[in-house]
Amino acid sequence: MAVPEILNTVEQSGLSMWIRNTDSLFGFYFILLLHTIGLSLLVGASVVVDLRILGVAPDLPLKSLKWLFRVMWAGFFINAPTGLLLLISYPTKALTNPDFYIKLSLIGISLVVMQKIKTRVFDDSLSEPDMVARGKTMAKYSLALWAASITAGRLLAYTYTYLLYGVYAVVTLNTHI
Amino acid sequence: MNFAHLHLLLNHFPVIGAIIGVGLFVASLFKQSGDLRRSSLIVLAVMALLTIPTFLSGTGAQLTIAGRPGVSDALIQRHEGAAILAFWFMEVTGALAVVGLWQTHRTSRPARWNVLAVLLFSLVTVGLMARTGNTGGDIRHPELWTSPDGTSEGKIGSIVHIFEPTPAKYSHDLVFTKWTTAVLMDLHFFGLVLVIGTVGVLNLRILGVGKQMPFAPLHRFLPWAMGGLAINVITGMLAYSGSPELYNYDAAFWLKIVALLLLGFNLCVFYLTGIFTRVERLGAGDNAPMVAKLIAGSSLFFWFAIIVLGRYIQLAGGTIPSGSN
Repeated sequence: MAVPEILNTVEQSGLSMWIRNTDSLFGFYFILLLHTIGLSLLVGASVVVDLRILGVAPDLPLKSLKWLFRVMWAGFFINAPTGLLLLISYPTKALTNPDFYIKLSLIGISLVVMQKIKTRVFDDSLSEPDMVARGKTMAKYSLALWAASITAGRLLAYTYTYLLYGVYAVVTLNTHI
Repeated sequence: MNFAHLHLLLNHFPVIGAIIGVGLFVASLFKQSGDLRRSSLIVLAVMALLTIPTFLSGTGAQLTIAGRPGVSDALIQRHEGAAILAFWFMEVTGALAVVGLWQTHRTSRPARWNVLAVLLFSLVTVGLMARTGNTGGDIRHPELWTSPDGTSEGKIGSIVHIFEPTPAKYSHDLVFTKWTTAVLMDLHFFGLVLVIGTVGVLNLRILGVGKQMPFAPLHRFLPWAMGGLAINVITGMLAYSGSPELYNYDAAFWLKIVALLLLGFNLCVFYLTGIFTRVERLGAGDNAPMVAKLIAGSSLFFWFAIIVLGRYIQLAGGTIPSGSN
């Protein structure tokens, strides 16, 4: 299958080239860093809620963790724009890799489950035991989905076919991006 | 200053520290003293942390002195093999000590299995550390050699030698395919999420965010933070051992290790100076004392510094010149 020419156009744009090639500390690695910090906020906060639902820290009122959903969304709103910038910097690398679509789908499903936990479990009319009972299954799915999302994201560094338009990948050892 | 200096500065801590830790632990069993046992567990946990930079500086020192006249590569390999084995036993001992401290906190005494496990692992660690010191000394002190192969190892040491990993094979196996690295880095991110989630919530509570959370029940998340840290020490050290030359000449990597040590210091100040006892009493809506907020703030700062520096490791390769050593 031919790689669409538009990917080359994006790659040759000023923004894309600047992110890839700048000597500034705020180029590619800085965006990647923000993406990692956003991940730690989004998934870290979500995991804490999931663990509490599954029985960790049983004496902590579940209701008192509701504020963490704001942290999760803050993480998401760091990661959507930084993810877009990373995509602009290496569009061919991402969009020719099936794993990229898997990753986005997994994140989408993870976010839906996360939001379901917020609306169905954190319902002010419910007692604490009822909240926990209602959340058990969703919390397990949430943990598994986040683990899968991170794994799919990590695998992007090892599974691509093209690094740039027309440039076949030489995936080296110790590629951490 | 080069890696050989740094290694000489650090390398006595694990050997002597492990001996002191075990000594105090055994004494606490005879005297049945809870305070003494707690102190010994703290010594062992701190030594597990200090062993990390000691091990890393040793690999750096190897790159510095290998190939010089009068330096035997075989002896360096022998020392490194001994060090790899001693390192992992020290880390397991440290982890068991932290579990013992947690159990002491929860039920005022560690479980019987934990006492036995700490005793067993710390005693073996002392033996392995002694061997590591011994084989290390052999590299630069020919006057110590007693056996024809240029070591001063006795019978027991030679038997242990059979069980230790061959350094070159150990490194090679860790980078055998790109998938080894992929799995290690994936797990490293799982650990990161666990640590930032749990440590973040605990520290933010102290700083006054989410004050509706009572502290003592929230503190039950701590084992998950420690579990995340354990995953990351294991996966991080394995990734390092696979290709030490990528990390040793990297300023971001060494600063990350410094940040990790400062976090250990931060943790000791928090738990050992009475600040934790004051924080533990905080109910829903209560304000933490200023000194606790300082500790929580610096903890968050150093954890995020670790992420920042970790991300820049790849970019900062070669920032420490190898020629100047």
